[in-house]
Amino acid sequence: MKLKNYLIMIVVLTFVFLAACSAGSDEASGSGDGEKEISFIHWRGEDKEVFDELITKFEEENPDITVEMTIYPSEQYQSTAQTQIRDGEVGDVFTSFPGAQFKIMDKAGLMEDLSGEGFLDNFNKDLIEAGQKDGKQFAVPYQLVFNQPVYNKGLFEELGIEPPNDWEGFLAMNEKLKENGYTPIAFPGADIGAGQLMNSMMMNNAPDEEIFTKLENGETKLTDEWWVKTLTQFKELADKDYFQKDSLGTKHDGAIALMAQEKAGMLASGSYAMASIKEQNPDMELGLLAPITVSADEAEYEGIHTTTFMLAVNSNSDSKPEAKKFIEFLSQKENAEKYANETGQHLTVNDLEYESEELKSTAHWMEKNTRFHPRYLISSADIQKAVEASIQAVIGGQDPEQAAKEAQQVVDQFVE
Amino acid sequence: MKAGKSIYLFLIPGLILYLMFFIYPTLSALFYSFTNWDGLTADFDFVGMANYVEIFTKDSIFKKAFVNNLEFMLFVVIFQTLFSLVFALMLTKNSTASIFLRALYFFPTILSSVSVAFIWTYMYDPNLGLINKLLDLANLEFLTMNWIGDGDIAIYSISAVQVWFHTGQMLIIFVAGLQGIPKDLYEVAKMEGANKWQTFRKVTWPLVAPAATIVVAYTTIQSFKAFDLIFAMTRGGPNYSTEILATLIYNTAFRSYRFGYASAESVIFMIVIAIITFTQMRLLRSRA
Repeated sequence: MKLKNYLIMIVVLTFVFLAACSAGSDEASGSGDGEKEISFIHWRGEDKEVFDELITKFEEENPDITVEMTIYPSEQYQSTAQTQIRDGEVGDVFTSFPGAQFKIMDKAGLMEDLSGEGFLDNFNKDLIEAGQKDGKQFAVPYQLVFNQPVYNKGLFEELGIEPPNDWEGFLAMNEKLKENGYTPIAFPGADIGAGQLMNSMMMNNAPDEEIFTKLENGETKLTDEWWVKTLTQFKELADKDYFQKDSLGTKHDGAIALMAQEKAGMLASGSYAMASIKEQNPDMELGLLAPITVSADEAEYEGIHTTTFMLAVNSNSDSKPEAKKFIEFLSQKENAEKYANETGQHLTVNDLEYESEELKSTAHWMEKNTRFHPRYLISSADIQKAVEASIQAVIGGQDPEQAAKEAQQVVDQFVE
Repeated sequence: MKAGKSIYLFLIPGLILYLMFFIYPTLSALFYSFTNWDGLTADFDFVGMANYVEIFTKDSIFKKAFVNNLEFMLFVVIFQTLFSLVFALMLTKNSTASIFLRALYFFPTILSSVSVAFIWTYMYDPNLGLINKLLDLANLEFLTMNWIGDGDIAIYSISAVQVWFHTGQMLIIFVAGLQGIPKDLYEVAKMEGANKWQTFRKVTWPLVAPAATIVVAYTTIQSFKAFDLIFAMTRGGPNYSTEILATLIYNTAFRSYRFGYASAESVIFMIVIAIITFTQMRLLRSRA
């Protein structure tokens, strides 16, 4: 009898446990009372406030859908998002960086094919190509970013400096800033600095947009002239103290602070940092410039752009229609304008009216001959890291040829 | 007294957990180390020993990470053991001040690694950080450094944080060992005319040696597996100068999506730790 009682108890407890689990999963998907909860994950902590407002508006317009937003630091997002999205529990709507992360997510089949969705008409077709693969639209780039130095317009005017159009002019400009007691370039070398400034530094040294594809195929090497020259120019900037002291120990927040305190003339990150600088120093007038590393007549490109913050629907989601509805909502003119103007980001959405001064003053960059962010065209994360590490090495004092050689050793490991 | 064979049934829950959480993952890692699995799709091919061959013949970063790991371990083992022993010697008595100071030194241990990493990253910041500011104030500007941005010293700067983080924990082990030494031995040494150094060498050290072995063994393994501080402070940079095996394996698996290769790195890593642990165990036995 005792054994029988134990068995009954085990069976009952097992059922209670399973029932509790199933109740938990119902609650997690938010399907009670016909209400659907969708999870939206991204890396833009600085956009939380405006997204909160947009989500409230979306929920008012769609009372049967609630949106749970989770924001991760961008570094963490790059390394963990794929794993979290894969089981479909989070990220019904998620964002992706272009390049290596998009390729990995595509390979893992995490993105629903959005081709033919009506909301795609709200976007500029030329600016959403980074989210395409084999003619299908798997993700929709939302932001248009210029990944080149931000400069203090007021300071430049005061010192009579015009953004130069060749390397000699760029060096002379840095020298003038230094002579006047300013740090010419606030360089966030501890995190994003190398990965950002490398794009504009190399764009004219290697104008071939396929250069990194060729590197990964073994058709070119980092020890070739284009990269050694880029490293030599980075070293020149470092050796002449055009970066702040101990730049490899400075994170992006620290570099933004140097810029906002008007201790530095330029910040080596991108247009996405302008809102943060303005938040700390609302009176500053900001502009964008790119170092031209060749003579004016040799220069092919004027700057760097990226279409990023690519919105995608999780192919494992149970709430795909609701997820698509949310993307459609973000692509509507009124909502996109709110997002753009409050975050200081240019968007890929058509016919937007930009109100913020920074967006207006940098809008002319959309007409310039800019090149798509070369680093995002490196498909291997290991090679990407080796390329950035070689920049850190020369800023740290290493000979450019030696740094290039060591980075090429890593590349060779992956070239068949 | 006659428990019979049924007593072995009590081992089953523990055995199941051990099989699930240690044996199965270990064998899985070994299995995948012979494949080119990317961790994202279900497809993979067997590549034999190719991953191991690549690690030993082509992978310059693995070698760099291994050397960094050894430097990190040596720094941490030497200084953590030394500081915890010295502090323990000063705080052996159960006076109010000693108990308070022991609690104070133990405090960093209860913090989360990420909090410690953030605190120290800001302290080490070359422009805004407290350390360089204090050195400036003390007219010791020549000592200011780019603590975690200079590839030559970054690994030692993080090692110092690891020492700060865990010294209090090791101090407690030493205090327990020191408090177990019979007082009579010190009285005899005093009567024999031994000075402080002789008393330490002939009485304290031989009797605290088992505790020291535990501290050294634990610190060695702990420092070899250090991941959180480095990941949160430098992510292995600049230029791989703080890359250690644990961060390298993480990057290979979760950034490069080469799970097969990362598994091979993990197997080698496991063998290295096993050799170290085995050596420590031998040392422990020889002291017992």
